[in-house]
Amino acid sequence: MSIPAEQKRREFEGEALVHLDALYGLALRLSGGDAPRAEDLVQESVLKAYRAWDRFEAGTNCRAWLMTILRNTFINEFRRQKSRPSPVDFDEVSERPSSEGLYEADPEGRIFDHIIDDKVVAAIDELPAEFRVAVVLSDLEGLSYQEVADLMDIPVGTVKSRLFRARKRLQERLYEYAVEMGYVK
Amino acid sequence: MSESGSWSPDGNRSSEPKLTCEEALARVYEYLDGELDASQHEGVRRHLQKCRRCYPYFDFERLFLDYIHELGAAEESRPGLKDRIREVLAAQPD
Repeated sequence: MSIPAEQKRREFEGEALVHLDALYGLALRLSGGDAPRAEDLVQESVLKAYRAWDRFEAGTNCRAWLMTILRNTFINEFRRQKSRPSPVDFDEVSERPSSEGLYEADPEGRIFDHIIDDKVVAAIDELPAEFRVAVVLSDLEGLSYQEVADLMDIPVGTVKSRLFRARKRLQERLYEYAVEMGYVK
Repeated sequence: MSESGSWSPDGNRSSEPKLTCEEALARVYEYLDGELDASQHEGVRRHLQKCRRCYPYFDFERLFLDYIHELGAAEESRPGLKDRIREVLAAQPD
């Protein structure tokens, strides 16, 4: 027997809506800092979760359940759009000699204790979507290569190469930032 | 770092093939991401125990990945989003 609508709404608000900021944070990173898009993504995901609330097992990890719904919702849309060519040619990244610049300038990685997180978030947001999504799923969310490959519907080898190039690109941006702030020369 | 590619730091008597620096470096992210199988992981680990050239680089990459991971998808609040969602939920059929 399904639970009365009012009780369902109360339960859902108490257990699920408390995770709204976490959902929005993930949505914002997946969508590259596009706030209206992230907001729509959260709303759509929450609505899906609400409709499936009868199937949520009380006592299990509600946050993880919601994050999975949001990831899948984003990915479905992303896969629908992926036939469109990426507007940015990212092939150059792995060829650029400066990709080791940060390591050579700061081999002990002291910059990581000093850099402002917003700068790195901006650098992630600026990555072309195929690369950004791989980084968000793998590096921020901790998914395995296989999980990322399954979600994005790409081979594991492509996940590896996207992560490699995206990480080198992020290091380049960190290097540029470190030079800008006079941290390295 | 490619000039160190053929340099093998571990020329001992073991019959197991040892990784060159180039081979170890090619696996840096798979190693740090925990994506290698046990014997490949062990091969890289043993290379790093002996190789003073590769170890600092792996350590740097580990710090970088730790930093990005800790950054995570931080919580962000969006003014009005909760109210908007409550309205949408209230409009759902029972």
